[in-house]
Amino acid sequence: MSAQSTRPARATAGGGVLRAGLRVLEVVLLPAVLIAVWWIASITSGLYYLPTPGEIAATFAELWFSERFFEDVLPSVARLLGGFALAGVLGVGLGIVLGLSPRLRAVVEPVLEFFRAIPPPVLVPLLMLLVGVSTSMKLAVIVSGAIWPILLNTIEGVRAVEPVLIDTCRCYGIRGRRWLTTLVLRSASPQIMAGLRQGLSIAIILMVISEMFASSSGLGYSIIQFQRGFAIPEMWSGIVLLGLLGFLLALLFGLVERRVLNWYHGVRAAAKGE
Amino acid sequence: MLDVSGLKKIYPGQHGSVEALRDLTFTLGDGELACLVGPSGCGKTTLLKCVAGLMQPTSGTVTLAGTRVAGPPPDMAVVFQEYGRSLFPWLSVRDNVELPLKEKRLAPARRRELSDEALEAVGLTKFAGAYPWQLSGGMQQRVAIARAIAYEPRVLLMDEPFAAVDAQTRADLEDLIRVLWKRFNMTVLFVTHDIDEAVYLGQRVLVMSSSPTVIQDDVTVDLPEERDQIGTRAEHRFAELRSHIYAEIRNAARPQAAATAD
Repeated sequence: MSAQSTRPARATAGGGVLRAGLRVLEVVLLPAVLIAVWWIASITSGLYYLPTPGEIAATFAELWFSERFFEDVLPSVARLLGGFALAGVLGVGLGIVLGLSPRLRAVVEPVLEFFRAIPPPVLVPLLMLLVGVSTSMKLAVIVSGAIWPILLNTIEGVRAVEPVLIDTCRCYGIRGRRWLTTLVLRSASPQIMAGLRQGLSIAIILMVISEMFASSSGLGYSIIQFQRGFAIPEMWSGIVLLGLLGFLLALLFGLVERRVLNWYHGVRAAAKGE
Repeated sequence: MLDVSGLKKIYPGQHGSVEALRDLTFTLGDGELACLVGPSGCGKTTLLKCVAGLMQPTSGTVTLAGTRVAGPPPDMAVVFQEYGRSLFPWLSVRDNVELPLKEKRLAPARRRELSDEALEAVGLTKFAGAYPWQLSGGMQQRVAIARAIAYEPRVLLMDEPFAAVDAQTRADLEDLIRVLWKRFNMTVLFVTHDIDEAVYLGQRVLVMSSSPTVIQDDVTVDLPEERDQIGTRAEHRFAELRSHIYAEIRNAARPQAAATAD
């Protein structure tokens, strides 16, 4: 019942420090090896298109810790988060409506499958014509791709609400908003979070693609510009920045998820323990 | 208090319809504790769902305190057999108990008072902050019972609530039900497949026939008010009642006998 540590408690201070040191080593080891391999490869090959990690790091600091941060990084991140939020609200909202109505689902589902099958990047040229080269167009591209996993997972989650809980809510007269938030949304939250996680990584990809196609600012735009101007270390530093951005967002998402799904992990752990 | 009259339920199906309940009529007086036993598959859960307003009967009526039941009535609480699945795993024990009270629009202080009392009554005061999945099966069922009591129902329905707990826990919960029934002045309808449990708990035992179901017998349990797991079960009268109902149910299992039983 209580969450007791299974590890034997060895109360020596030296052991603690040693273990912490080992843990840090575990985390840092592989990245260090990869950077070293890259470094050696770039020095020995002397390839113009493969600058050393040192060069990239120096360029990174110089390039992105400047006004570029406000001109390119922040607008990109804002578009990314804006598009993701919009996809989240639309996906979860529509998902709940469709999940609750079998009849509506029967009508809409084949069409959804078709739209889902369209690779979102091909919508960029179309949306450029329809919406113009604007922030709205980039948001539309991000939403058009990120919404699907969110929508489909929400539908599945809403359909799988425990029937005994539905009866319980009926018996105790729980309906309306409380029914929606306490029963339906919380029941579906594991699936909704899984959908949002997929949606987030799709949103990052589409943010970059939409900026590569049609933009005058942003990370995708900058990377293309550097590539065209043969500013190779700059181009690499942009790629590294995107990698770090994705990593950071996944980390933040993990923190939120752990809070929201605390009960779910508890239930699963309890089920395994029995 | 609770009137069930001519209740009939037919499930339509592709391979012919199934008659789950044929004709059920019985009345529970105010503050009565009645147990309903019957062979497995005789439609106990169907009956309970009809009484709870969760299911529409094909014909017949359920009347609670003079009002016909068309949906779940506001002064009735239900404890389900699947206790683990009837609790909200994302809410703490206290929030599970207080959720229906929020819907009743009670003030926070009053909600707290009711949930404190209910949790105290089932012996879970110390676990108010825990989550259902941190508790054992018997404790989870106590949470479901506390939630029902805090709702201040006039009628409490229980659908084989102890079918899935171990024998010792079961005995404890049976005694708990007797205590709560007296303390909170509720009318209790307790559905079970366990004849011993029905005789031990009830003032009355309603015996259901096998499907298609009718009420086959209505046995008054003339045991002393104070029941005791060891003493009561050892009484000669307890054994008599038990054997009588057992024979009825054995008869009920034979369709021919069921048709001529009344």
